[in-house]
Parts: sequence; C-alpha cells; structure tokens
Amino acid sequence: MAAGLVSKWSRVGCSLLAGHCNSFSGLLSASHELGFNNFLSQQQRTFIQMRTVLKVVDNSGAKKVMCIQALKGKKGARLGDTIVASVKEAHPNGKVKKGKVVYGVVVRAAMQRGRCDGSEVKFDDNAVVLVDKQGQPIGTRVFGPVPHELRKKKHIKILTLAKHVA
Amino acid sequence: MRIEKCWFCSSTIYPGHGIQFVRNDAKIFRFCRSKCHKNFKMKRNPRKVKWTKAYRRLHGKDMTQDSTFEFERKRNRPERYDRNLTENTLKAIKTIDKVRSRREAKHIEKRKKGKKAQVMREAVKELEQSISLVKAPSVLKEDPSLTLPKIKVKVSQAQAENQPMEE
Repeated sequence: MAAGLVSKWSRVGCSLLAGHCNSFSGLLSASHELGFNNFLSQQQRTFIQMRTVLKVVDNSGAKKVMCIQALKGKKGARLGDTIVASVKEAHPNGKVKKGKVVYGVVVRAAMQRGRCDGSEVKFDDNAVVLVDKQGQPIGTRVFGPVPHELRKKKHIKILTLAKHVA
Repeated sequence: MRIEKCWFCSSTIYPGHGIQFVRNDAKIFRFCRSKCHKNFKMKRNPRKVKWTKAYRRLHGKDMTQDSTFEFERKRNRPERYDRNLTENTLKAIKTIDKVRSRREAKHIEKRKKGKKAQVMREAVKELEQSISLVKAPSVLKEDPSLTLPKIKVKVSQAQAENQPMEE
C-alpha cells in the first residue's frame, strides 16, 4: 500500500504542489483511514510533462514515446497541445525508430479539460499522434476516439483520419 | 445545446454541469455530479445502487412504461427554426411534465396502498398478546374496568365480539 502510494504520487512534480495538489497533503493523511478502494478513486490527474510516457495511436511505427518538453504551458501539456518526445518503443519496421526525437499532438489525456459550454471531458489514457514540424501527421491512420478540441488547434488532418470524434 | 442524462443516476445534466468520460472504445459516459462519477470509478452497478433511477425502474418502484416517455426520446434530426413550433413545444413541455409527475405520484401511491388491512390485523394481535407489557395480567383479571375499550376492527369480527365479553 505504501509502495503504491509512492508510485502514484511520484508522477506529480514538486513544481505542481503549489497549484494543483492543494488536496495532496490532505489526501495523503486521510488515505490510511480510507479503504484501498476509496484511495484509488481519488487519483489526481495532472499535466503531461517531462518523462511522461504516452501511447502512440497512429501507424507511424512508434509505440511508446516519452515527453521531453511541453511546448506552451508552464506546468505541462494538456489535451490538444503539442509536445516534443523521444521514441522509447517502436515497431521493427516503421517510419520512426527508437531513440528519435519527434513532435506529437496530445489526442487523449487523463486530465479533464474544460469545454466552452462549461462541461469537462476526460479520457482513459494519455495518447499522442506523431506529427512533423509543420503539424502534419506522420502516420496515415489514427486509432481510438479524438476530441474536437483539435479543430480549434488547427489539426484538421488528424480529425479527418480519426474514426470517432468525441 | 442538448440536455443529457447522467449515466449513473439518470438525472438530467444541464449545460455547464458534470464531467463526460470517453472510454477508449469511444463510449461516452456522462455524469451529473462527482457523486455519480466516483461511484462509476468504484465500478458500482447502477442497477444495484438503491437511489438511482435504474434500480427504481428495475424493482418496480417507479413507473416504467408510459406514453409521456415517448416525448423525451432522443432525436437526431435538426429542426428548422420556427417560432410557432418553438412556442408550442415549450407549452407542451410544461403540460407533459405535469401529466408525467402526476402519473408517477399515482403509481407510487398505488404501490404503497394495500397494506392497511394487514397493519390493522398485526396491531390487534400485538395488543391482545403484549398487553402484559403495559399492565400485569393479574391486575387485569381482578379489575375488569382496567381492560381496554372496545376496538373496532372491521377485518376480524371474532375479535370485536371478544372485547365486549371481557368488559
């Protein structure tokens, strides 16, 4: 239980303690009173920052990338932002190889993002679509649902490739 | 703009409220408030959680089939704007709502009704059995005026005859 605690919260950077995790210390102290189930349901989801591993959901060849830098945003990247990432895991014969530095657009984020009508959306995992410097996707297919926040960010190509727009 | 239903408790979600969760199989779950959201994360089945509409409908506590529910069906065809149509729709919504709530209340009333006879029977039985909790039986035997007054019970005529005999 203690190990689980540490691994869950280690992803939250120290720089975020001030802003996001004002309930962090409160949760930590209360967690040994709550059951394990309750503790699971209070997982705080935060930004995508350096060392965040994301799933790649196109057919560019990469499988997992690790974020190196979130362009725009002091605290990290959110749904719809671009990031610089390093390919950690790739298919043996693909367009990108392991160790390459690529740009990506975050298409699914576990942290909720507010919409202009006041509601909030959140996805199940963190996923990214690899793009080139101009913003055009490297792959030719996109898997899974994508949000229509991408329309505002001018990633129309990704929206057209997607099967389902959330 | 669309008024949605909460996946967990089936209440209406007005714009600006709630969270929608998109699963990787592209199924969208909308929640009206964090209570429903947290229950979902705990993997609770709404059909087993007593306060949800799903449970109530399943266990016959609330009305399931009615013609007023047809008006609320989801329609995916956009209507051309027509002021008269909008006005009539708004009026209709009000009356339909009134009718539906009236019918729902009647359904609940009907469900709660048929217990009167059973309750009376149980009460009479308890009265004649446990009167010793109130007064000692020896006292009752000595002084018949201390016995209970005649209880009018419609269901069992035999009981009503017994009371005047004791007095």
